[in-house]
Amino acid sequence: MTNLEIANAHLRSEDVNVWFGERHVLRDVSLTFPVNQVTALIGPSGCGKSTFIRTLNRMHELIPGAGFAGKVFFNDQDIYNPEVDPITVRLKIGMVFQKPNPFPTMSIRENVLSGLKLSGRRGYNADEIVETSLRRASIWNEAKDRLSDPATSLSGGQQQRLCIARSLAMEPDVILMDEPCSALDPGSTRRIEETIVELSESMTIVIVTHNMQQAQRVADQTAFFLAEDGMPGRVVEFGKTEDVFNRPTDPRTNDYVNGHFG
Amino acid sequence: MTTSPIETAALPRPEKSPWQIKNPKQTRALILASVAPAIVVLAITFGFQIDGTIAMLTMFLPLQVLSAGAVGFRIYGKKGIADAGLVIFTIFFSSLVGVLLMSVLYSVITEGFKALSPQFISQNNVYITPTTSLEYGGVGHAVLGTFIIVGITTAVTVPLGIALAVYLTETTSKTKGAVRTLVQAMSGLPSVVAGLFVYAALITSGFSKYAGWLGSLALIPLMLPTVTRVAEEALRLVPVELRNGALALGAPAYRSFLSVTLPAAKSGIITAVLLGIARIIGETAPLLLTVNYANSTVLNPLESMAALPTYIYQNLDSANDTSLQRAWGAALVILIFVAIIFSAARMATRSASVKKKPKKVAKND
Amino acid sequence: MSVASDDLTKPVPPKRRLALKPHLIQDKIFYGIARSAAVGAVLIVALILGYLLFMSWDTLAQQGPAFVFGSQWSAADPENLVFQIGPMLWGSLLIAVNGMLLAVPMAIAAAYFIEFLANSKIAKIATMVVDLLAAIPSIVIGLWGVGVFTPVAAHWAKLLNENLGFIPFFNNTSGSFVNSPFIAGWVVAVMIVPIITSVTREIFSQLDRDVINAATALGASRSSTFMKVILPTSSGGIVGGALLGLGRALGETVAIFFVLNLSFEINWVEVVESRGGSIASMIVSFFGAASPEEVKALIAAGLVLFVITLLINWLAAVIVAKAQPWRK
Repeated sequence: MTNLEIANAHLRSEDVNVWFGERHVLRDVSLTFPVNQVTALIGPSGCGKSTFIRTLNRMHELIPGAGFAGKVFFNDQDIYNPEVDPITVRLKIGMVFQKPNPFPTMSIRENVLSGLKLSGRRGYNADEIVETSLRRASIWNEAKDRLSDPATSLSGGQQQRLCIARSLAMEPDVILMDEPCSALDPGSTRRIEETIVELSESMTIVIVTHNMQQAQRVADQTAFFLAEDGMPGRVVEFGKTEDVFNRPTDPRTNDYVNGHFG
Repeated sequence: MTTSPIETAALPRPEKSPWQIKNPKQTRALILASVAPAIVVLAITFGFQIDGTIAMLTMFLPLQVLSAGAVGFRIYGKKGIADAGLVIFTIFFSSLVGVLLMSVLYSVITEGFKALSPQFISQNNVYITPTTSLEYGGVGHAVLGTFIIVGITTAVTVPLGIALAVYLTETTSKTKGAVRTLVQAMSGLPSVVAGLFVYAALITSGFSKYAGWLGSLALIPLMLPTVTRVAEEALRLVPVELRNGALALGAPAYRSFLSVTLPAAKSGIITAVLLGIARIIGETAPLLLTVNYANSTVLNPLESMAALPTYIYQNLDSANDTSLQRAWGAALVILIFVAIIFSAARMATRSASVKKKPKKVAKND
Repeated sequence: MSVASDDLTKPVPPKRRLALKPHLIQDKIFYGIARSAAVGAVLIVALILGYLLFMSWDTLAQQGPAFVFGSQWSAADPENLVFQIGPMLWGSLLIAVNGMLLAVPMAIAAAYFIEFLANSKIAKIATMVVDLLAAIPSIVIGLWGVGVFTPVAAHWAKLLNENLGFIPFFNNTSGSFVNSPFIAGWVVAVMIVPIITSVTREIFSQLDRDVINAATALGASRSSTFMKVILPTSSGGIVGGALLGLGRALGETVAIFFVLNLSFEINWVEVVESRGGSIASMIVSFFGAASPEEVKALIAAGLVLFVITLLINWLAAVIVAKAQPWRK
């Protein structure tokens, strides 16, 4: 790791441990997410990668019985410091979920603006924000003539891009994506991948994915998670995507990326 | 297009599958089995002047079972007998339910309409004795009293019930299970005991005289479990992804609830309110113990008031033909209210599944 | 720059329980309202139970077990107050059981008819009517009981007595067949049939149609599907619904008040006899003219009724939860 990268790393985790009730599911995860880079989290089901991504903006604590240890630094501040209000964290670190979840009672336009309304922001130029957000999520052309239609009238892939636009409207520094394409068809998946690549010019992205081609297509760096025999999940390998896939140092990574298990 | 030789060589299909075939003989047997016992029993009943109930139970039913069993055996073999028994059992008891419930509905509607008139809806009960003719007096005061008493209860119970439902669904408190059990235990409170509680605590103690608001107070524990249970179910049905979506945008919990969860659960919440009202609108015993009755139009809930259920009670108690007619009229009015509440609840539930029409959005928010 | 966290020798740091801790004042108010509603509900129940217990204490202490088992009620002599609710308690149970024996078979049959026999249009209408009737106020059923049903039921009761009078149940020495537990039982049955039907139908509709179709495909007849597949899988729910109806039947007041002749001479099983008991009706009949001591005794009676209903509801909840683990 070069010094430059550390200087730019405004989001990093340090020895993150996670429990559900008494079950220890993640152990000592320390990852660094450099500015304007895409990091993919890969690994077999149940290895804790989705759980980990939820700790990065304190969504993890919404699950009853959630336990935590370690630190997550955002701009050199530990977001798990008891003084920190999780709401302020989530304003800066947005999230897109596995299943598209636009608010069904709102129109497309209202969905884009929902974050601003929900966080009580005032004095913004609504039309401009709607257009830029939808453009950045590359759904403007499909949605511009039907902004007042209910969000549920969109197709699954469009709904997911609307959810990305909804996050972008908040102008976060980081976007976390938890398997954003797992419920979508290949065409929609490709468009979202293109969106991710475009967005990474201006923001940091962390993406959980089951799809190893997807990780190779979009990610600058990749972390491989693995949970062995009832042990908590750990990071087995973390590095440049190219290295992880082509020159893995750990034999288990090699097995996984070449499809020998999982 | 060519068809494969196998398909063309297939045997001609029978027009009906074997299990659908019913030869005319069987159809005739079926009709005979259902009609013959009825004719025999009718003939005997009229011929020998036997009581209808006895004939029904001692002759018609056994005969019907026998004949249906025989036909069942002919068509389906041994297992047809048990099937016939089951069908006869079901139809007999279902008809009994139907006859009883229809009798309730029919008598309320026909008897009620005899009393119903514009002045019956608008006038009150002042100067009306049990023998006063139906041209005078009505339930106007009771309708208003019911609205006020039920209205006060609703105004208190609905916010309380929704807040409780929020506690049960939106918080991670450990005492949730205990609270839920307690609220459901409240639904076991007999209504007369709720009334007696208020009567003993606030009336015999000299704190207050009979008053409308005491009735509202006694109705609260009866309405609360219904509102809470239905509202909790409605909130629980809102997908967790929506809440997470709102929270991930940096929404405070209260805004996420008010702008995302509550609108999504709107129809369920409306249903909760309506079912709660339906639960208490006809409660009589608590009102007897806490409100008593008034004959004049009283709009002040600090006074004794009239209400529809107590009006029925009052008129039923005086056991006179005209007063009984008034009771039927009031019963019909309650029934109409209940029917309105139910159609409203059904509409609320239905509109949730129908796609909402796009709303006009203001140019600048 | 490969980094791995494979070092298992490192000790695991201490776990912190994460809880939702509102930081914003509005969120604190939001959760505060929800929490105070919970406290309020607990307080209401505690207040009612506590007050009933407190007010009943004198009567229960003074009368002892005879309060529940004896059969005398006399407030005439202030020196020697006798409050015993035996006949009323037994009467409440007798009427409720009577109502259940009539209502449960009717409800199961009606639910089976709606779900499995009727075509979808009839089923839809029947479902709506049953749900509506479940909300009919009991005083309306009482009115129907007085105005329409009593002569019919008295006629049935007389027939039963004339033909089956040798069975103790249908014994009648007074010659009067009105205002009997038999009629009250029917009225209660009409009141709770829609409730039990509604629950049972709901449970039938949740049954896995594939299982039923599979049974039919295996050659099971209608009756054996009903007895061996439908009833066993839904029995828990039906019992729960029936107990729910039983709770309502026990607490029923005014409908019974008008169709029953209250008597402190205990009526064990002679259901067509013109005397019976009901705690709830007794409270309504007596409270107006009651002395403060008598009011306390009535509260004690109400407490007994409440406790019995609580036990029944609790039993219903346990049975339903046991029989349908998938519902929670």
